[in-house]
Amino acid sequence: MSRARVAAIPAPYSRARRAALGLALPLAALIAWELSARFGTVPSYLIAPSVIFATTWEMAASGELWQHTSASLVRAMGGYAIGGAAGIAMGLLAGIARPVERFYDPIVSLTYPVPKIVVLPILIAWLGSGDASKIAVVTAAVFYPTFINAMYGAKGVNRIYVWSARNMGANAAQVFAKVILPAALPQVLTGSRIGLALAFIVTVAAEMQNSRGGLGHLVIAAEDSMRFDLMYSAIVAIAIIGFAGDRVLVALRRRALAGQALGKEGAHG
Amino acid sequence: MALLDVRDLMKTFRRGARQVQAIDRFSLTVEEGEFVAIVGPSGCGKSTFLHILGGFEPHDGGTMLLNGAPVEGPGPDRGMLFQEFALYPWRSVIGNVGWALEVQGMPKAKRVAAAEKYLKLVGLSAFRDSYPAELSGGMKQRVALARVLAFEPRILLMDEPFGALDAQTRELMQEELNAIWQQTRNTVLFVTHDIDEAIYLADRVVVFTARPGRLKDEFEIELERPRRADVRKTAAYMAYRNRVWDSLRDEVLKAREEFR
Repeated sequence: MSRARVAAIPAPYSRARRAALGLALPLAALIAWELSARFGTVPSYLIAPSVIFATTWEMAASGELWQHTSASLVRAMGGYAIGGAAGIAMGLLAGIARPVERFYDPIVSLTYPVPKIVVLPILIAWLGSGDASKIAVVTAAVFYPTFINAMYGAKGVNRIYVWSARNMGANAAQVFAKVILPAALPQVLTGSRIGLALAFIVTVAAEMQNSRGGLGHLVIAAEDSMRFDLMYSAIVAIAIIGFAGDRVLVALRRRALAGQALGKEGAHG
Repeated sequence: MALLDVRDLMKTFRRGARQVQAIDRFSLTVEEGEFVAIVGPSGCGKSTFLHILGGFEPHDGGTMLLNGAPVEGPGPDRGMLFQEFALYPWRSVIGNVGWALEVQGMPKAKRVAAAEKYLKLVGLSAFRDSYPAELSGGMKQRVALARVLAFEPRILLMDEPFGALDAQTRELMQEELNAIWQQTRNTVLFVTHDIDEAIYLADRVVVFTARPGRLKDEFEIELERPRRADVRKTAAYMAYRNRVWDSLRDEVLKAREEFR
């Protein structure tokens, strides 16, 4: 036989090419949108992207957009911090202690499918119409995915990991901190990522119902005054902070799971 | 006095109304520095025995003395090597090997030096900063062995440690373990279903019966040490192999009946 021919292996995508691929669809849509708006084939509520950009720029320059954005961020991040911390802590506990799991199981199953936004009126009656009621409803929404993922993360830890830790002389606290926690971390982070998206969704929904200030309020206020361009500015701002938050979590995940991620991609036996 | 003295060990698994007797009055003594292999048909309770000895499973009767003291719960006086390696994927190789010393509170410099020493013993110094996911199966088990050796247990408990490896890697690992044992002279209790592995490695081969596991036979393996790989081709080795297989064969057949 002649020398084996080396198969043509496609060069791995460069960072730039990967980014370009991801941007292709949104960019094409944007161009199509702009062109149709210019040549008058779309309804009036589909404002041209260039107009939206100009309005957003103006709003940002005047500081008004930032006011709404920071009001939303306080609510979203406040609820995310409280709900996420409680969800992860309780979830890990429920994952390692059967009585804790039994304690939470019925109430979580019962209330999980209820859209958390429906309790906002009750929370407003109780906590007032300020930030507290909104933070409370975001807290409730974030709790579920973080709790459930942390619980299954801790429950799913390979028994052999725990056995070998006990074998090496680790006490219960060390088993938790040095085995359960890192082993459950990938799923804890998955729950945190879902929770983050929910935090933004519920914040905006709450602000659309009842609020002074915030991006959800901006959408409603713009609708009332028929300012469709403003509405889009609010939507753009929501998308940007949501995207930025998600990217931060993805980067954190990559750092935290340096070794564990290897196995998922690697071809080593 | 023997280092390990197990007497009349009993174990029954219960799930609901179903009961399965796994081990029935099993007794075994192991001397300091002795390498004992346990062979038996699959499902005979030999791994269960090791798990009980490791302190992971409770037992229902009998006594287990290690160095004169009763065995209770898991502890670093018994070093357990699992078939599944049980390396922590979030830790580098050196972080895994030093793990036991870390939880036992050894200062970092001392711990790293000890871990490096054992990593060198298993020939993986070059991989100290790799993660387990980057290693082959054989390398993972060598790291796991270094990790167990590093905390210097009184006895090594090996639960089919090469069972997850391919045939060629397994044979090389046996030779490697033999060479390492020649240097460290640990007391070892090695569970396997592979007769060749048992004879090649051990000073004594213990045969388990089909379930419920009981001691059936013991064979002293008087092959000269250090053993080279080609000892497997000698007449003396083949004679041992035939004797152990004759003893084991009936039990394997019995175990197979049960699963029909």
